Amino acid sequence: MSGGTLNLLIGLAMGLNLLALGSSRLPSLIRSMSLQGVVLGLMPLLMEPERLDWRVVAVALATMAGKGIVIPWLLRRAMRAANIERELQPFLGYVPSLLLGAGGTIAAVALAQALPLLPEHAGTLLVPGAIASMLTGFILLIGRAKAISQVCGYLILENGIYLFGLLLIHSTPLLLESGILLDVTVGVFVTGIIVDRIQRAFDSLDTRKLTTLRE
Amino acid sequence: MTPGVLLSLAAVGWVVGIASGRWFSRIWLGFTLAGAAAGLGAAVMVLFGGMDWEWRSSVAVGGEPIHLHLDALSALFLALLCGVGGAGAMYARGYWSEEHYPASAPRGRAWWSALLSSMGLVLLSANGLHFLIGWELFTVSAFFLVTLDRQNPEVRAAGWLYLAASHVGTVCLFAFFCTLAARTGSWDLGPMREQVGLAPLFWAALAGFSVKAGVFPLHVWLPSAHANAPSHVSSILSGVAIKMGVYGIVRFSGWLPVPAAAGWVLIGLGATSALLGIAFAFAQSDFKRLLAYCSVENVGVILVGVGGALIAAAHGDEPWGRLALAGALLHVWNHGAFKALLFLGAGSVLHATGTREMSKLGGLWRSMPWTAGLFALGSLAVSGLPPLNGFISEWLVYLGLFEAALGKGPAAWAAIPAAIMLAMAGALAMASFAKAGAMIFLGSPRSHFAAAAHECGLGMRVPMLALAGVCVLMGLAPVLFWPAVARAVGSWHPAWVAAPAPDSMATLGSVHLGFGILVLAGAAWLWRMALGNGLRRGLTWDCGYAAPVARMQYTSSSFGGIVSGWFRWVLQPERKMHRPRGPFPAGALRLERVPETVLERVIGPVGVAILHVSTSVRRLQHGRLQYYILYVVAGLIALGVLVSMGGVP
Repeated sequence: MSGGTLNLLIGLAMGLNLLALGSSRLPSLIRSMSLQGVVLGLMPLLMEPERLDWRVVAVALATMAGKGIVIPWLLRRAMRAANIERELQPFLGYVPSLLLGAGGTIAAVALAQALPLLPEHAGTLLVPGAIASMLTGFILLIGRAKAISQVCGYLILENGIYLFGLLLIHSTPLLLESGILLDVTVGVFVTGIIVDRIQRAFDSLDTRKLTTLRE
Repeated sequence: MTPGVLLSLAAVGWVVGIASGRWFSRIWLGFTLAGAAAGLGAAVMVLFGGMDWEWRSSVAVGGEPIHLHLDALSALFLALLCGVGGAGAMYARGYWSEEHYPASAPRGRAWWSALLSSMGLVLLSANGLHFLIGWELFTVSAFFLVTLDRQNPEVRAAGWLYLAASHVGTVCLFAFFCTLAARTGSWDLGPMREQVGLAPLFWAALAGFSVKAGVFPLHVWLPSAHANAPSHVSSILSGVAIKMGVYGIVRFSGWLPVPAAAGWVLIGLGATSALLGIAFAFAQSDFKRLLAYCSVENVGVILVGVGGALIAAAHGDEPWGRLALAGALLHVWNHGAFKALLFLGAGSVLHATGTREMSKLGGLWRSMPWTAGLFALGSLAVSGLPPLNGFISEWLVYLGLFEAALGKGPAAWAAIPAAIMLAMAGALAMASFAKAGAMIFLGSPRSHFAAAAHECGLGMRVPMLALAGVCVLMGLAPVLFWPAVARAVGSWHPAWVAAPAPDSMATLGSVHLGFGILVLAGAAWLWRMALGNGLRRGLTWDCGYAAPVARMQYTSSSFGGIVSGWFRWVLQPERKMHRPRGPFPAGALRLERVPETVLERVIGPVGVAILHVSTSVRRLQHGRLQYYILYVVAGLIALGVLVSMGGVP
C-alpha cells in the first residue's frame, strides 16, 4: 500500500473536520461526520494489503456500516423527532471555530513531528490526523449548544481515537474493536432517545437549559 | 476478689445501666453505683495492692485480639472516673429528673452509663485500635450528654462545636495510632521506650490529646460545652473527660520515647494555659463559663508538672521530676474532686434560680446555706488554699519546680518562669472564686431570679457532701494517698518506683489538721459571740444615697474590671458605652462582653475565609456541559505540557 493513498484519505478526513466546524446546518454536519467515518473505515483495508485477514476486513466493514449508515440514520431520526434543522446560537461562532480547528490541525502536525514515533508511522499523517480529529471533536463539544451537534462532536472525537487505534490494529483483539463500535452505536441510540425526552421536557434542545439539573 | 472480677462486675453494672436507664431510674442508679463501686475497688486494689492486672483474650474485635491492662497510672484515672461518675449519677436523679425533663431524662441516664463504660474502655485498652474505638464512643456519648437539652439552639451550637473540635483531635490520634502500628507492625500497646525512631510521633499524640484536655489555645470547645451542658454532665466533662486527654499525654509520654523538646513544650503550654485560662475565667460573668475556663487553668498546672517530669527524665534528675509528676497526678484527682463539686454546686444554683448570669444573682447564702457552704469549700480548694487538697498538689508541683530552680541546671530556665506564671495564676484563681462566691452568694439578691431561690434536695446534696469530704480528707491526710500516686509515677517511669513520701508531706498533713481545727474553733467562737451579742442588721454602706437598691452592688464585670484591663491584649473585650451627660442625664449604658478570643478572632475568620474560597470554587460547578468538557481538555493539555516538560517520568 502506498503511503500516498493513506495520507490522501487522512487529509480528506482533516478537511471534513473543517467542514464540520464550519457548517451551521445539522444535516450537513451529520453528513460530514458520517463521510469521515466511511473514509476512516476504508483505511484498514488500504494500510497493509499484504497482511489483510478476515478480522481486519470485518472491522472495516462494520465501521463503515455503523458510522456511515446506522449512526447517521439514528441521528436524522432524532433530528426529525426534535424538529430542529439548525444550530442557532453556538457558544463559539463558526469563523472562530474554523480558525481554532485550522490552528489545531497545524499544531497537531507540529506536535506529531516532536513525538517519538515508530519509523513506519513517522511518514504518515496518522498521528496528526488523529490529534486534529480529537481537537475538532472537543471544539464541537465545547462550542455547540444543541445536543445533536454535541453528539456529532463526540463522534468526531471518537474517529480521532479510532485513528490512533489504527496504529495498533494488528495487536488489538477483534472483540475490543467491535466492543468500541457497539458502545458508540448504543451511545448514539440512547442519545437519540434522550434528545427526544429533552425536547419534550424543556421544549428545546439547548443543553444550556440543563443547568437547572446541576445539583 | 481480683481486679479482673471487679472490673467485669463494673462492666456488667454499667451495661445493665445502659439497657435499663431509659425505663427504670432506680435500677439504673443501683447498677451504675454498683459498677462505680466495683471499678473503684479494682482501681484501689491495683493502686494499693501493688500488682498490675492484665488480660489477653484470643477473641478478636475488629481483627485485633482483646488486650486489657490496668496499671497504677490507668487505675488512678479509673478511680477518678468511678468517683465522679457515681456522684454525678446520684446527683442527676434529683437534678435532671423525670418531672422537669420528661423527654431527655431517660436518654441522659442511658448515655451517662455509656459515657462511663466508654471512658473505662479507653483506660483499660492496651491495643491502639480498641483505644480509638473507645475514644470515639466516649466522644459521641459525651456529645449526646452535652446536648440533652437540645431544644435550645445555644446548646446545639455548643454540642456541634464540641463534636467538631473533638474530631479534629481524633484525626491526630488516628494519625498517631496508625503510624505507630505501621512502624511497630502491631496495634498492641505497651512500653517501647527503646525504639528511638518513634519519638516524633509524640507530637501527633500531643495535638490530639491536647484538644480533649482543653489546653490553651485548643480549648475553644470547652467553655461553651461546659456552660451549656446540664451541670452533672459539666462536672464529669471537667472532672474526668478532659483528664482523658491528660491520661493520653501522660500514658504515651511514658510508654514511647519522646523528642528532646517535649518537656519544654509541655511546660510552656501548661504555664500559658494556666495563666490565660484563669485570666479568661476572671473576666466571665456566666458562672459556669468561669468554672470551665478555670479547668483550662488546672489542666495547665497538671501539664507543668508533667513537662517538668519529662525534662527531669531527660536530664536524669530523679528527685524533683518525681515530685512534679506526683503533684500533677495528685492534681488530677484533686481537680476532679473539687471541680465536680463546684459544677454540682453551680447546678444547684442554676436549678434554684434558672440563670447562669452572676449579675442577676446575689444573697443566695440565706436561701441555700448548704450549697453556699459547699461551693465556698470548693472555691477554697480550687484556689489552692490550705488546709484543702488543692494546696497539696500545687505545693508538690511547686516543690519540684523550686528544686529544679535550685539545681541550676538547664531545667531552671523552664522552672523559674513556670513557677512565676503558676503563682500569678494561683492569685487570679483566688480572685476569680472570690468574685464568683461574692456575686452568687453574698450581698442581696440582684433580681427576681435570686429572690425566689430554694435549697436543693437531699439527693443532690449527698453527692456534693461526698465530694467535699474527699477534698477535706485529701487535704488533711495527704500521706494516705501518697503510695497510690507513687505507684502511678513508678509505672510512668520504671526507674522511679517505690519512692517514700517526702517528709514534709506528713508535717504538712498535721499542720493542715491543726489549722483546720483552729479554723473550726474560731468559727464556733465567732458564732457563739454573734449569738450571744445578738445580730443587728443595717445597710452595708450607703455612700450618701437616700434610697440604695440592690442594683447598686458591684457587678461581676466591675469586680473584674482592673484585672481584665491587664489582660485586654488577649481578652479583647467588646464594649458598648453611653456615658451619662449633663447635670440631668437621660440615660447611661455600659455593656461588656468577653468573647472566646481564639474561637472568634482566630478560628472564626479563618473558617470564614476557607468557606469563602470554597464557595467561589463551587462556582465552577454550574451545570454547563460545554465548560465541563473544556475543563477536561484543559486538564489534558496541562498534563501533556507537564509530561513534555519532563515533570513526570
